[in-house]
Amino acid sequence: MSTQRILNLARRVIQQLLADRRTLALILLVPLVVLSVAGVLVRMEPTAVQLAVVLEDTGAALPIGGGGTVNLGQRLTDSLSGLGENLQLDVLDAAAAEARLEDGDLDAIITLPGDFSARALQQRELNISITYEGSNPAIARVLDTLLTRAAVQTLASLSLVSSESAPPVHIDATYRYGGAEFDQLDHLAPAFIGLFVFMFVFILTSVAFLRERVAGTLERLQATPIRQIEIIIGYMLGFALFALAQALIILTFTIFGLQVHYVGSLAVVFVVELLLALMAVNLGVFFSTFARNEFQVVQFIPLVVVTQVFLSGALWAIEDMPGWLQPVAWLMPLTHANYALRDVMIKGSDLIAVGPYVLVLIGITVGLVLIAAQTIKRQTLA
Amino acid sequence: MNPMNGRCAVEVQAVHKHFGRVHALRGLSLQIERGTTYGLLGPNGAGKTTLIRVIMGLIAPDSGETHVLGHRMPDKDVMAHTGYMTQRVALYEDLTVYQNVQFFAVMAGLAHDRRAIEEAVALVDLSARMDSRVRELSGGMQRRVSLACALVHRPQVVMLDEPTVGVDPQLRVQFWDHFRRLNQEGVTLIVSSHVMDEAERCDRLGFIRHGVLLAEGSAAELLQRAGTETLEQAFLHYAEQGPAA
Repeated sequence: MSTQRILNLARRVIQQLLADRRTLALILLVPLVVLSVAGVLVRMEPTAVQLAVVLEDTGAALPIGGGGTVNLGQRLTDSLSGLGENLQLDVLDAAAAEARLEDGDLDAIITLPGDFSARALQQRELNISITYEGSNPAIARVLDTLLTRAAVQTLASLSLVSSESAPPVHIDATYRYGGAEFDQLDHLAPAFIGLFVFMFVFILTSVAFLRERVAGTLERLQATPIRQIEIIIGYMLGFALFALAQALIILTFTIFGLQVHYVGSLAVVFVVELLLALMAVNLGVFFSTFARNEFQVVQFIPLVVVTQVFLSGALWAIEDMPGWLQPVAWLMPLTHANYALRDVMIKGSDLIAVGPYVLVLIGITVGLVLIAAQTIKRQTLA
Repeated sequence: MNPMNGRCAVEVQAVHKHFGRVHALRGLSLQIERGTTYGLLGPNGAGKTTLIRVIMGLIAPDSGETHVLGHRMPDKDVMAHTGYMTQRVALYEDLTVYQNVQFFAVMAGLAHDRRAIEEAVALVDLSARMDSRVRELSGGMQRRVSLACALVHRPQVVMLDEPTVGVDPQLRVQFWDHFRRLNQEGVTLIVSSHVMDEAERCDRLGFIRHGVLLAEGSAAELLQRAGTETLEQAFLHYAEQGPAA
């Protein structure tokens, strides 16, 4: 063992890194970019739950004392509104509430029927029926807690329950999409199915294309009749095959291995996966031109992949992001893919329903193909 | 396109090329006749590879023009009739010898012609290693595969950038015998080298330094004009004189 040799080697490694300004800059800057995005997101206020109350309660006469009526539905609504900023509450009629739930503007509807007060007084307990939109299971948990608190307050105001006994509140929950058995994994799985295909194809293409340039085979290829756009399409074709095979394995594992719930059409999932793979190929070609070796390529992974995951709406809702960050999030291909895959897998949406997302993905893909073809051309003429 | 267009196989007219502040080619002109072998001689950094890349249509000159087989470069159609053996090995290491040669054959428009591929591999004496991965071959063998890739589609004009570096003497003789046969078939070869002893095998030589053609002619002519005994001395003589008028 020679300390001299070891130190000499260590010095050489440091010299190499110092000589490689790009890797050095990436090592220092990329974590800052990723962390700043993460910092903004983690400090965000928790999701505001969008709730509608369909208040049809006509009230009822109090059984004790000499007359007087009470509207428990109204009292419950008031308690809920007083619970704080996390709850955005609107009182709507049944049709309007249903329409907004359908549009995805609402997280849940509480329906308080005409005999709500009467039955509550008769049975000495509150029976509340709530319909969840259901695609985000975290919201059901939040609302459940809030609703129980509001119900206990309402009952306490009537002195119907002593402080010792458990609050006789029954919440009857129904789910428009998904269900109580859906958990956070069901919410995240669609995003990760998209992410993995995107990430692996990006890494593979950027390294493969870098090697093509470094080994000189790209130059040799360009001395043949093949055109830039043909090279790009050839790459896309080759990697699309792998990407679809990978998607198949991931989907099989997610559905059968992880028991993730899944209702939509497999064909639409594959269309989205294919588009993600094609975009990843072009991003790989594009970014490989900014790298001279494999080390530099690997540095682009956090920038291209991790940032996109943070902004894709999978971990943090885009609606809750600061205003300036939201347009950035909607620029990311993974965001559109995530929303499309989630709608398909949880809500069972068809190709037409997720059409807008798919069209945006196609548009980004075409744009990236043109950019990637230009980057190859520029190398030729350099 | 008609590959028989034009009297000269290659015509370079007053080509300038800058890379940043480096003036790699300074108004260089030359003509190469069909069916001949032209040797580009000069030290490293003289502009040989840049000239070859301009002729191949891989880089656009800042000014001046290049014609290959009568067509102004870059022209993708002409590229089906040119072959290019790069200075570096430039092969797909994970693929076999056969797969590499086949890849470039198909690119040049030779759709899955197994015989043409086998002939090209036999020419470089690698038939026994046809299914070996390129990464498993020695450096010299890899250069032979590279040559097979450049010749498999029977091109009319072939650029060979330092083709015999790392090739053993016996095989080098075989290479040059084959280059002669190609000339007889009307194929034009451009060979770059910094090894002067290979130069006398070429029909014509061009001495290049600092992006300028110093002198041009057959080996015998160049020796006679310079009044020297070796091409090396001749090169130094012309370098002192400066570019030919």
